[in-house]
Order: sequence, then structure tokens, then C-alpha cells
Amino acid sequence: MSITPYRVLVGPEGYLPPAAASRGILLPEKGEALIEGAIVPEEEAMQAIATKLLSAKNPFFFPGPQLLWDWKEGVALKAQAVKKLADLAGARVIPMPDYRPKYPMINPAVEINPNHPNLTIWHNKIDVCVFIGVHCHYANMALKIIRGGTSCYTIALCGEAGHEDAMISLCCMGMPELARLTEIIQSMKGEQAA
Amino acid sequence: MSIKVIKPTAAFASLLPTEYLELVADGPYASPKTINDLGTFKEIIAEHPHCAGCGVALGVRLTVASLPAPADTLIVGTAGCSFFGLAQAALNYSCSAFGNQNAVASGLKRMLKIRYPDTDKDVVVLVGDGGIADIGLDLTLHSWFRREKIATIMVDNEVYGNTGGQESGMTQEGQVLNMAPKGKNFAKIPVFELARVSGCVYGARVTVASPKKIGRVVRKAILLAREVGPTYVQIYTPCPTNFKFPPQQTINIAKKAEEGYYSFQEFISDDAQAYWEKNFASSTM
Amino acid sequence: MIEQRVVAPEYLFNEAEREEQFITGSEAVREAIKRANVDMAISYPITPQSESMHLVGDIYAEGYIKEYFRGENEFAVMSSVAGAAMGGVRVFTATGGPGTLRAFEAFPTWAGARLPVVCAFMTRGINSPLSIQPDTLEMAYMLDTGIIMLHAENSQDLYDMILQAFMIAEKPDVHIPVGVFVDGFFITHTRDRVKIAPPDLKLPPYNPYSAPVPVMDMENPPIRQMRDPFVMKSNFISYAAHASWQQEILAAAERSRRHIAHYLGNLLEAENETAPVMIVASGTAVSQSREAIESARQEGLDVGLVKLKSLRPFPTEELKAMTANAKAVIVPEFNRVGWLAREVRAALEAKVKVVGGPRVFGGMTMPPDLILDEIRRCANE
Repeated sequence: MSITPYRVLVGPEGYLPPAAASRGILLPEKGEALIEGAIVPEEEAMQAIATKLLSAKNPFFFPGPQLLWDWKEGVALKAQAVKKLADLAGARVIPMPDYRPKYPMINPAVEINPNHPNLTIWHNKIDVCVFIGVHCHYANMALKIIRGGTSCYTIALCGEAGHEDAMISLCCMGMPELARLTEIIQSMKGEQAA
Repeated sequence: MSIKVIKPTAAFASLLPTEYLELVADGPYASPKTINDLGTFKEIIAEHPHCAGCGVALGVRLTVASLPAPADTLIVGTAGCSFFGLAQAALNYSCSAFGNQNAVASGLKRMLKIRYPDTDKDVVVLVGDGGIADIGLDLTLHSWFRREKIATIMVDNEVYGNTGGQESGMTQEGQVLNMAPKGKNFAKIPVFELARVSGCVYGARVTVASPKKIGRVVRKAILLAREVGPTYVQIYTPCPTNFKFPPQQTINIAKKAEEGYYSFQEFISDDAQAYWEKNFASSTM
Repeated sequence: MIEQRVVAPEYLFNEAEREEQFITGSEAVREAIKRANVDMAISYPITPQSESMHLVGDIYAEGYIKEYFRGENEFAVMSSVAGAAMGGVRVFTATGGPGTLRAFEAFPTWAGARLPVVCAFMTRGINSPLSIQPDTLEMAYMLDTGIIMLHAENSQDLYDMILQAFMIAEKPDVHIPVGVFVDGFFITHTRDRVKIAPPDLKLPPYNPYSAPVPVMDMENPPIRQMRDPFVMKSNFISYAAHASWQQEILAAAERSRRHIAHYLGNLLEAENETAPVMIVASGTAVSQSREAIESARQEGLDVGLVKLKSLRPFPTEELKAMTANAKAVIVPEFNRVGWLAREVRAALEAKVKVVGGPRVFGGMTMPPDLILDEIRRCANE
């Protein structure tokens, strides 16, 4: 264990940033979340997400295949809720329809790919991004690449165990959590307006 | 598959890139297409990085366009030129270690049968000559001996193309290639004949000069593999890069081969023939 | 077949009343798999593993497993296991010695493809030259394949670890293979008292749709998928993707620490860890060490024991803490290369003297006196 705890900070971190898990960052339990590597209550992380999104110059949501394709019950509603959340936060949306590497070219204006996510971040000058509906393996793979080569602040809304490689990560994300995050953003926007 | 897997959620449908919207609207999932429909639908392999004039690319394209049920087809591959187009195929594709494709397919097929007892999940092996005839020959033969219900398709370019033109077991005798500096000193491995005596219920040998034949035999091989037993299709797919002929000659060379040593051949077991006549006799293909 | 009901893993492992049986290690494998709710098992014979997978075949015939067959060689078996796991089911197989090396290419591909396969390794000598006798040499080769490695001391461990391995392997944040290693013959072919859960209980089924990668069934998105790492192009973007992918496999093993601790208690167990002389061992070398320690204590020597249960991930911090007071650490092993001594030396960073040995191999047993001699030497230095 290193003496100074590793922190998951905005990049560019360098040539090959480590997996945060390999530097001692632990995943949260239900009801908890991660901010820059530290475990915090979920509510605190939601507040932080709202602040980040609302203060961003160019925030984007990256919905993955599990939200883009209407493959099982509940997905359509969840997708709708995520779209609403993005709109409320003033974020635009670029989809990640699948995970195969895109050859010979990707159009970074219209899609993002986990094997080379930096191209989309650079092209669109994205300063805050939100991963949701991406299988965990591909999300972590992409999050490390983004941390290595860009200055984008990464947020993961995960339905499973969460992502150490994002700067803020929620876990066990279901509809109630999505509703709560929307509510927080709504009220923070209200305060800003007032 | 449940066609829902290729149905976009309403919230994000308008944001999908064009190629996905085309797959949704004009892909072969809801109503399967045949080779005759090429040019009128969004193909499962819409682009590929193969060399100009590549016979393998053509063989793979024609094979994938002939799948009887692409919405429930899973392709198992292996390293080699066949990989390049397939890695971008709009269906589930796997490629783990070199030569292990028929073993991977065996495990996959048996488990899908258990998970989806009422749906035909077509597990298709689609690989090159090196993968089947050399490094994977024992695993291929054993999957046939075990009567695994998978269709095995070889795109035979008679060379290790991806590694730079080395002799394979399917290279013709006498051919000079890398690693055969004095010419290959034994005959093509008789995989087609081995298939017949190793448990395959249907086999066909074709070339890319006959696309309609490919369409017919691939479909037949996959449909028979569902119910009767293992099947094998061997497609001659000439390689302009390593045999140093101009890319526009690919079809001519295949045609010449088909008139000679690579003549069209087919075999079918009595069981498979009876099953075919009972279920597909009226089929136009 | 006895009708079974699904129970929580914690109940099966810790709470259900256990019955003590006097059985072989191979039979302990059968009893574990009977309760593991396994979908498919694939076998191939190799001494000393053969009996365990034939017994698994017997319970398949009784109806405890949905599918089972004998493959043609270990590389093929491990490949078929991969195909089944990609299809979204719980699979089990076992091998050992030369079989492990014959199948070797499959293990990193399992880890790389995030397959939660559980495989038991009944270790034996490899062909150096040919031997069918006990030896843990193959574990040296397995250390860097990316799989999680647990090492059983006895049949009880073997039974428990196989069941626990499924739960660890299938956690969405882990989802890589787990190898349960056991010293062939010494455990597989001897009888011991093993406490086992009632036969009418089994683990919950595997849920493929919580996996960190899509299932290969054309029923979950994206349909446009490559189920494994892809062929690399020669450009930095491709290198970075592959590097990040590999890091994620390592990260998955790191994340398994908390799950291993949850199910196994910890990655290691220690006794008398304040002693100036510590023995650090895994597998049956732990049992031999226990006997040596008993004799040493009768002679008035103060010696402690660390039993390593998990070798990947390696309990570096825990080992440092458990040997903080030691002036010497003794690492007895059943192989000629001393892979465990290397691991221990690397973990302890030259802060304590590590005695690499005693070592026996080629099928030899390890008389506790050999370990006792080392204890005496270290105690008197």
C-alpha cells in the first residue's frame, strides 16, 4: 500500500494510468458512492454530481447498449428517465451503441467507442461526462483511457458494483436513485435561478 | 433472439448513428435474406479491412448473407484473415485461441440448447484453412465424432495469409510459399473426405466463383446442423496478396479451380436426406 | 437425485448443519459440485485428477448437472468450457500437471474474456522428466495467467473452496476464473474427515446478465459484439485499449480480495504470529508444518505459522503484518523451483530473512523433521 493514498483525479494523468483498484481504491457498498477514490454517502455523491454537471461548460451523457436497445422490461422507462436527467442538466447525449473497435474511422461527433473514447472527448471538447448503461468491463476500460489522455471529469452511474476508475461513481443505480439524482439537480437549478 | 435486442429505446432512437438505424430498418433480422437479395438490404458485414480482391472477404460476405436465421446465429472464429470482416459483424462473434473454434462452439451450442430449448440457436464455425486443417484438426474432427450440432465452414485460401504467406496443410502440392522454399511436398489435407467419414451428415465443396451455390449449401448445412448432426462446407477463396495475382483475377482463378481440382462436390447422409425432404423439400433454395 | 432447494451462499457455507464424512479428496469434489448448481462440466482424464471428474460425471447421470461430456484433450476441454461460459452458464472442470500445461493457452484467454470458470487443479509433476507423482510445480506457471488462485490444505478446504470459488468468480466486479489448487494424491487419494452441508441444499444460480461483459446468446445487447479482446492494429489507440483491458483484469483480481475475505475468512490464516520464527506455506506443506511446529514447541522453540489460502491475489499486506516480529521466515514447498519463496521474498522486501526451503519434489513426501531442522537453525541463529 502506498503511503499517500491514490486519488482518482481529472487527467490527463499520463501515458498509462493505473487501474484505481490496483492502487487500493475500494468499491462502495449499497448506499455509498465514490468521489475521487474516497467512499462517501450516496447522497453526498449525488450532490457532487449535480454540482459538476451544472457547472460544466460542455457536459455529455454516454448511454451504453443496455440503455440504447429496448431489450428487456423496464429499459424503455429507464432510458426515458436518463434522457430527462440529461436534458435537465443541460447535457447533450452521444451514444455508445456497441463495443467492437470502429475501423477504419469513427465519427466522434455522433458516437463514442470504449476502445478509443478519447477521440469523442477531444473532438467535442467535453469537460464532464456521464457513463450509464455500459457493461462494467468496457466502462472501466474506457474510463482509464479518458483519465490518461483527456481533462474530462468522469461520472459513472452503475447498476452493479460501481467504478473506481471514474472520478465520481454511484453503484446499485435503479429507478429510485435516478429519480433522487434528478430531484437534486432540479432543486439545485432552482437555487441557482433564485 | 427477441427482436427487441435490435429495437432502439424511444428516448435515444434519434441519436443512433446512421449505420445502426440502417441495421434496424433494413437488417436481415426480422425477415432473413438470401444471396439473391444482396444489394437490397443492410448486410451483417457492411465493411471490412481485407486486401483488394480478397477471396476470404468474399467467402465470408457470401456465407454471412446466406445465414437462415441471423437473429439467432452465433459465429465462432479463430485467428487468421477470416477474422477481419467478422470482427465487425452485426451479430455475436467470438475468437479466443488459434484452432480451438470447434471446441468453443461445442460448449456454446450445448449450453444455448439448455438455456433456450425452444429456440434454434445456430452456432456456426467460420474460419480459415490453417485453423481447421492444421492447428485445429483434432478439435474439428472430435466435434464431428461427438456429433456436435454445429456447422463448420472453411474459407480455404490455401495459405496462412494473415501471417504473411506461409504454406498450410491445404496448400497444393508443389506450391512454393514461405516455409515451403522448395515447394510443398505433400498433398492438400483431405478435410472434405475426412468430414464424410467422421460424422458429418452433410458436406459441400464450392468456390467463390459460384455465389448461388454458396448460398444454397451454407443454408442447407446450417439447417441440417440444427436437427441432424455436424455439417461441413469448404469454400475455395483465392488469395491475390500471397499468390501474387491481380485482384481482378480472383473469380477467374476460382472458376478455373472449380473446373479442375476444386470441383463442386456434395454428400449427405440418409438421415439428413430424409429430414431435408420431409422439412425443406418445397424450399426453392 | 435428492431434490434440492436454493439457499443463500452464506447459509450453505456457515449456518447449515454439517455432517462429517470420511471421504477422499476426489469425493469431496463430488460433494461440492453436487451442491454448486453447476450447469455444465467437461472432463478429461489425467492422474491424479481422473477420479474427481468421473465422480462429477456420476452425479450428472443422477441429474445434478445439466450437461457433461468427456473432451479429447485438455486444450479442447478448456476451450469448450470457455464456449459454455460465454453462453452464460456456470461451468466446472478439473485437470492437473501435464494437463495444466497442455491447456495453458486457455487460462489467460479465460481471464481476458472475463469468464467466471471454476477449475480444480490436482497438482502433480510435469514432464521434466515424466512423472505422475505429487508436485506443485505447475502452480509456478499459473501465477501470471490472470486467474484467481486458491490453495487447499486438505479435503475440507477443497470442498469449501470449490463452492466459495463460484461465488467469488461470479461477482460482477470480479468475473474472472478461479482455480482451486490441491496437492494431488496427498489429498485426492487419501481419506479425511470432511464436514459437508446437507445434500438437499444448493447455491443460487448464476445470473449472466449481471456480468461485466455481454453474454453470447443473441438475447442481450449489443448484438454487434466481439466476445473477446480483439486483434490489435498497429497504432497507439489500439495499444492503449489493450493495456487498459489488461489492467482491468488485474483490477478484477484486486476486487476479489474483499469477496475472498467474506467467504474464506481471509486470504491467509496465522497462528502465533508474534513468534521470531515463522513458517509461511500453502497446500499440504501447511499440514507438514503443523507437525513440525508441534515438535518444535515441545523443544521450547517459539515458532508461528502463516497458511496462505489465496495466492492470486497475494496477501502482501497481511503477510507483512503477520511476520512483522519475525527474524526468519521458512517456506517449505513441494517443488524444485521454490515459487512460493519467490513470492514471499518479493512481498517482504528483504525486511526479514526468507529461508527458501525445505523443498521436496518428484513425488517425495516431506518429513516434518526437515522443517524442524530449519526451525532449529533459524531459532539458534
